Amino acid sequence: MRTYLRLTSSMIQMLRRNVALVLSSLGLGIVSILAFGLLFGNGGNVTPQLGVVDEDQTPLTTQMIQSLAHSTTVHISIGSRATEIDALRGAHLNAVIIMPAGFTAALMGGNAQMPVYYDQSNPTSWLIAQVTVQQVVQQLSGVHLPITLQTQAISVHNLRTIDFLTPGMIGMMLMWANLGIGTILVSWRQVGIMRRLAATPLRPGILIAAQMSARLLLSLIQAAMLLVIAMTVFKVPVYGNLGLLAGVVTLGTLTMLAIGFIIGGLTAKPEVANAITFLISFPMMFLGGSYFSVDNAPAFMRPVTQFLPLTHLNDALRQIINNGASFAAIQNDVFVLIAWIVLGSLVATRAFRWV
Amino acid sequence: MRISHENPSVGGVARVSGATLTRAAPPSVVRVDHLVKRYGATTAVADLSFSVRPGEIFGLLGPNGAGKTSTIEIIEGIRTPDSGTVEVFGLDIQRQRRAIQGRVGVQLQSTTLFPELTVQETLGLFGSFYPHARPVRELLREVALEEKAHAFPQDLSGGQRQRLALALALVNEPELVILDEPTTGLDPQSRRALWDIIQQLRQRGVAIILTTHFMDEAQILCDRIAIVDHGQIIAEDTPAGLIALLGASAAIAFQVVVPTGATAPDLAMVRQLPGVEDARAGLDQLILYTRQTEPTLIALLHLAEHAGVTLEHLQLHTPTLEDVFIKLTGRQLRS
Ligand SMILES: Nc1ncnc2c1ncn2[C@@H]1O[C@H](COP(=O)(O)OP(=O)(O)OP(=O)(O)O)[C@@H](O)[C@H]1O
Ligand SMILES: [Mg+2]
Repeated sequence: MRTYLRLTSSMIQMLRRNVALVLSSLGLGIVSILAFGLLFGNGGNVTPQLGVVDEDQTPLTTQMIQSLAHSTTVHISIGSRATEIDALRGAHLNAVIIMPAGFTAALMGGNAQMPVYYDQSNPTSWLIAQVTVQQVVQQLSGVHLPITLQTQAISVHNLRTIDFLTPGMIGMMLMWANLGIGTILVSWRQVGIMRRLAATPLRPGILIAAQMSARLLLSLIQAAMLLVIAMTVFKVPVYGNLGLLAGVVTLGTLTMLAIGFIIGGLTAKPEVANAITFLISFPMMFLGGSYFSVDNAPAFMRPVTQFLPLTHLNDALRQIINNGASFAAIQNDVFVLIAWIVLGSLVATRAFRWV
Repeated sequence: MRISHENPSVGGVARVSGATLTRAAPPSVVRVDHLVKRYGATTAVADLSFSVRPGEIFGLLGPNGAGKTSTIEIIEGIRTPDSGTVEVFGLDIQRQRRAIQGRVGVQLQSTTLFPELTVQETLGLFGSFYPHARPVRELLREVALEEKAHAFPQDLSGGQRQRLALALALVNEPELVILDEPTTGLDPQSRRALWDIIQQLRQRGVAIILTTHFMDEAQILCDRIAIVDHGQIIAEDTPAGLIALLGASAAIAFQVVVPTGATAPDLAMVRQLPGVEDARAGLDQLILYTRQTEPTLIALLHLAEHAGVTLEHLQLHTPTLEDVFIKLTGRQLRS
């Protein structure tokens, strides 16, 4: 324990003195946010795809659908219950709303039920859908129609591109900053630092734990800084619980570190470790949904995106920041990340080499 | 150039005397038994055995690439042998590595440390790896680095870095200290200061294994020396015992200046001189090892006069470890 604490504080000291490293990983996130913030500012939107099923076929429902079709905030497709739900399953839609037979009558009666289908298995899509449907209902309710959604009520947030991007940038920064631990480990081995440590009774597990702790502290600070910039400069709202957010940042950081340690254990040259890190992180940055939603990716890509830890990290961050999600809403992501940490750390400890 | 037929008998004599002593002495601190280490096609350590007794300074000498570092790093638990066993404090290095490492102090042939940690922080950090650590101030004083406590390793001079590496070897009050070329790159004062430290350690009962390319250093410091070449021990004895192997009471070194028209006497001719045990050509000089200094000298001068050559830089010295080393390994060490 004494060794762990001392080593951790030394590692923190080293990170503190390694200003270039700290700035570069934070810089990437900030530059991305600034660039996208300036490009899209308040205007850019992720345009959600909404399926609409009209089983009532009255003049009122037709009129409502027409007004939706003219909306700029949502793209709609109209079809039967079966075709629209199929499209949702194929990840072409974010949600399907249904006006069942008798909808108009019920509306006149003062309380209409509107079933809504979400793609529950895809948190990002689900998030966008929830927001969209709320917006749509709000639009429709502009004429004071008493519509009740047959899902639990959620708060209505207007999701701008910059709002959507902020969690993605945090996820991306955590990935870039922490996968790089592999390269550092390899360079320590190459220059002989590890050889000297190997001559002491220090255990690999303690070295890994100390390095992880120091990196975690750094990542929490970096995430907080990025969030503060997003909140103050771009007025990105954060709806969720900050403690939960810190928890997800922690899980994401540990996941990336575990993968980094595996890279570090399996490679001999820093250049190779660096190349592998790049090969992993670059595709993951896009497929993991840091810059854009991967919900509309072709079906065959789903297993890939669902496998990537960054996908789950980004989803969980978005759920919390954009939608104020509780733990229950992100527990799938949390479980996947924990699985990555546990398995990754096991492999990392086995792959560890001093010399 | 190497007189290979002499080596087996040399090694044999040394081992017999070593074994006799071992029986009387307390159990060894280090026992290396039939050690083999290969790197691909290279056999760096070829069936090497020796042991180190408590409180003794044991020197490993040998030309570059002889396998000294490989051997030492196996004892330190950094490298794994291909075959053979190493016991330290009666424990097996492969099975009880950490228990051993906690009681051993190590200075590698070249030490790289975290560039972002100061001298003081580095010593403190390494101290935390052991159950008991010496105060950082005390270590700094011992290696005369107090002024550099807040410097970073890369800002130290080469010799200061060596001293920091030495301090790291002493951080845990080790019972065994293993030093791989500890005085390489040190100025004469620092070298002597290190000798003091080593001798103080021995007085406290600490066993020491060291390698060096300085023969004077080995001769002064070591209680016993093993000369290693091609991964094998070719001689093992006390410095005096090794020097006695030469069978000569003096070494005569000289340069031959040959005027045009004259021919230089060759090695075979000088070997025939009375009393000469052995002769060899150094870099730009000849060296004779003799049992009878005076007759050899007189005959040598006659030979020179007869051949019409002059002898310059004529020197007479008692044989040193360096003479033994060159004779046994057949090459100049640091050429
Ligand atoms: N990691 C390695 N991979 C391949 N060959 C190696 C390795 N380490 C050492 N060798 C080879 O093993 C042989 C012995 O090397 P070693 O470092 O043990 O010699 P040494 O006696 O310490 O030499 P020096 O006096 O130059 O330090 C050399 O031929 C060297 O090239
Ligand atoms: Mg060496």
